[in-house]
Amino acid sequence: MRSISRRDEMSFAEPAALPVAASAPPRLHILNRFSHRFKTSLPAYLLLLPSLVFLALFTYGAMGRVLVDALYQRATPRAPVRFVGLDNIAAVLADPAFTGAVVNNLVYAVGTAIPSIGLALLFALALSRTNALTSALRAALFLPVLIPMVAASALFLFIFLPNVGLLDYYIGRFLPVLPNWLGDSDIALYAIMVITIWKNAGYYMLFFLAGLQAVPEDVMEAAHLDGAGPYQRLRHIILPELKPTFLFVTVIATLNAVTQVDHVFVMTKGGPSNATNLVLFYIYQRSSTTTSARPRQRHC
Amino acid sequence: MLFSRRIMLGLAIAGTLASALTFPALAEGPTEIDLFFPVPVDGKLARDMGTLIKEFNETHPAIKATAVYTGSYDDTLIKTRASIKAGKPPAAVIMSANFLLDMQIENELTNLDPLIAADGTTKEQFLGQFFPALQGNAVINRSVYGVPFHNSTPLLYINADKAKEAGLDPSKPPQTWAELTDWAKKLTKREGDKVTQWGIAIPCAYDYCGWMMETLTMTNGGRYYNEEFGGEVYYDTPSMLGALTWWNDLVTKHKVHPPGATPGPAVSTSFISGNAAMMMLSTGSLTYVRDNAKFAYKVAFIPRNVRNAVPIGGASLIVPAGQEADKQKAAWTLIKWMTSPEKSGWWSRATGYFAPNMAAYKTPDMVEFLNKNPDAKTAVEQLEVAKPWFATYKTVPVRKTLEDEVMLVLNGKKQPKEALVAAQKAADETLKPYNAETSLKLP
Repeated sequence: MRSISRRDEMSFAEPAALPVAASAPPRLHILNRFSHRFKTSLPAYLLLLPSLVFLALFTYGAMGRVLVDALYQRATPRAPVRFVGLDNIAAVLADPAFTGAVVNNLVYAVGTAIPSIGLALLFALALSRTNALTSALRAALFLPVLIPMVAASALFLFIFLPNVGLLDYYIGRFLPVLPNWLGDSDIALYAIMVITIWKNAGYYMLFFLAGLQAVPEDVMEAAHLDGAGPYQRLRHIILPELKPTFLFVTVIATLNAVTQVDHVFVMTKGGPSNATNLVLFYIYQRSSTTTSARPRQRHC
Repeated sequence: MLFSRRIMLGLAIAGTLASALTFPALAEGPTEIDLFFPVPVDGKLARDMGTLIKEFNETHPAIKATAVYTGSYDDTLIKTRASIKAGKPPAAVIMSANFLLDMQIENELTNLDPLIAADGTTKEQFLGQFFPALQGNAVINRSVYGVPFHNSTPLLYINADKAKEAGLDPSKPPQTWAELTDWAKKLTKREGDKVTQWGIAIPCAYDYCGWMMETLTMTNGGRYYNEEFGGEVYYDTPSMLGALTWWNDLVTKHKVHPPGATPGPAVSTSFISGNAAMMMLSTGSLTYVRDNAKFAYKVAFIPRNVRNAVPIGGASLIVPAGQEADKQKAAWTLIKWMTSPEKSGWWSRATGYFAPNMAAYKTPDMVEFLNKNPDAKTAVEQLEVAKPWFATYKTVPVRKTLEDEVMLVLNGKKQPKEALVAAQKAADETLKPYNAETSLKLP
C-alpha cells in the first residue's frame, strides 16, 4: 500500500521522466539526445511557463530588487539615491530593536511550535477513532482555525483586558495580583504566544489525524498480539510512522511564526517597549515610521 | 446560431470600447477625489464620516468624494506616504496635527497659501476663524499647510458617584497634582494586596503615551520639544523628570494607578465599568463616555503642578503633494465645507472633539447642545491654556524613543532618570541628520 503511494509521489516530482525518454536507445549522439529530451519535455515546460513568468516577475524579480536596493539609500523621499554598500545592513544589525525582535521571534517560534505540535498530537491520538463524540470534539478543536487572526486578536484584546477582561474575571480570583497581560513587558509575549497556540493546535491536529490513517492496521494488530502495550505501540510504531507528518508540521509551524504578525499588529503594535516586536512587524514598523532606512551620518 | 452569437459578442465589445473612448469627451463626469480618514478614538466615527461625505456629495454634484478609512493616526501617515510614493496620493487626508511638520520637511504637503489667496481672503482672515491654540500645528514657516478639522485636549474624567461614595465633592475636582494624588488614594479600594478599584488610570500605548507625557510635562512647567525648530526635544529635563517620577509614584509608591502600559480603549473600558474611578483621556472620548457611562461623571481640567497647560491633539485636513490641479481644487472645496461652522459643530457633537472653528459655537444647534451637555464646555474652556502638540523631524520614531522608556518605567524595569537619559540619547540620534542639514550646517 505505502510503497505504491511513494512511487506516485516520485512520478509527480519528475514529470519529465516519460516512458518515451526512458526507452530511447542509450548510445545516441549527445546533442541529439539532448534535443530529443527537450522535445519530449517541451509540453511540460510550456505548461509551466505562465507560472514561471509570474514567479519571475513578482517573486524572484522583487527579491532581486530588494537585494540591490539594500545597497542604496536616500535621505528624504525625493532625494536621489546614493550607493552606501553594506551600511544599511550594519545599521539594522546595530539597532537594539532589531536584535530584540530576532530574539523575540526565536522565543516565539520555539514557544509556539512545540506546545502547539504537542497539543495537536495529543488531540489527534485521543480523537483518532471516528464516532459522533470525537467528530464533535474535532470540530470544536478546529474552530479556532476558522476565525481570522485579526478577529481572534480583537476578541482576545477583550479577554486580556486588565481587571475587567474575561480572563481576569475568572482567573483573577486565584491570583494575588492581577497581571496586565498585554501591558507588562515580561508577560505580553507569552500572552501573544497563547493565542497562536490556541489558533494553530487544531490546524496541526488535522495533519496528525491524516498521518494516523497511514499507520498500517496489520502492524498494529501484530504488535497487539505480541503483547506490546500502548506506550510501546506509540513509541515504536505510531511515532516512526508519523515522522513525515512531524517534519511537515514543524515546517508549517516555523513558517507561521515568521509570517503571522496580525495579532501583534492588532493587540500590541510590538509594545510595550518592543517586548512583543517580531521581525516581520519590525520591518513593517521601520518602513512606515522612518521613510528611509535608519539614517546614518555619512556625507560623501 | 454560433455565428450570430459571435457577432453579438463582437458588437458588445465594440460598443463598450466605443463608449469608453467617447464618454469622457461627451460628458465631463464629477471630479473623483479620495479622502483618507483615521479613527483614533472610541465611538462610531466611521459611520459619522460616511454621513458627512454623503451629504457633501449630494450638495456638490460636480465632485464625487470617497471617504477611505485608514486606521489609526500612525497608520494614516503610513498609508498616505505609501500612496505618495506610488504616485497616487489622495486629494485630502485627515492627518494627525503633529505630523504636518515632518511631512513638510519631507516635501509631502501642498502649501495652501495660493488656494487661500485664490478665494480672495488673506491668511490672517482664514486662520482667524480657528482657535489660536490650533495655529501652531497648522502653520509652518508662516505658510498654511493644514486646516484644523477636529481637535482635542486631554481631560480629567471623574466618576462622580464613586467620588461621593468616598466623601469627595465632585463639583470641586482636584486642581493640583497633590489634590489628585489625594483623590486617587481615597478612590482606590483594596482587598488585601489586591486592588479592586483603581484611583486613576492614564493611558500609555504608542501615540497616546507621548501625548500624556507632554500633558504631564507641560503641567509641570515644561515644553517637551522646541516649538520653533524640529530638531530638538527636551526629554532629559527637570520638568519631564518630575512628570515621569510622579506618574511612576502613582503606580509604585501610592499604588493607585494600574501597573504596566494600558492602551486608551482599555482605560476607557476600565472607567466605564467602574474599575477605575478617574482617568485622563482625550476630549475625543467624551461622546463615548456620555453614551456608555451608567453613572454620573464629571470632567475637569488636567491638574497642575507648576502651571495649567495642555497640548492640543486631533487632526488637520491636508492636501498631499503631487495632486492634479482640478483634484486639488475639489479637495479645497471639500476642506472648506468640512471646516465650516455648521459642519464643524455637527462633527463636534457627533464625536466629542471640540470644533476648531470658533463660529461653530455661535450656531443655535451648538448653543442648545452646550446648555444640555455642560461637560462639552470644559474642553473649550481649557483651550485658553492649550499649546501646540509636539512636532519634530521624524515625529513618530522620536516619540517612540520616549514611549518605550516610559513603558519600561511603568513596568518597574527602569528608574525615571535613567529612562529619560536613554530616551534623550535615542531621540538625539534620530534627529541628528536633520540637525546636520540645519542647525549644525555652518558656513
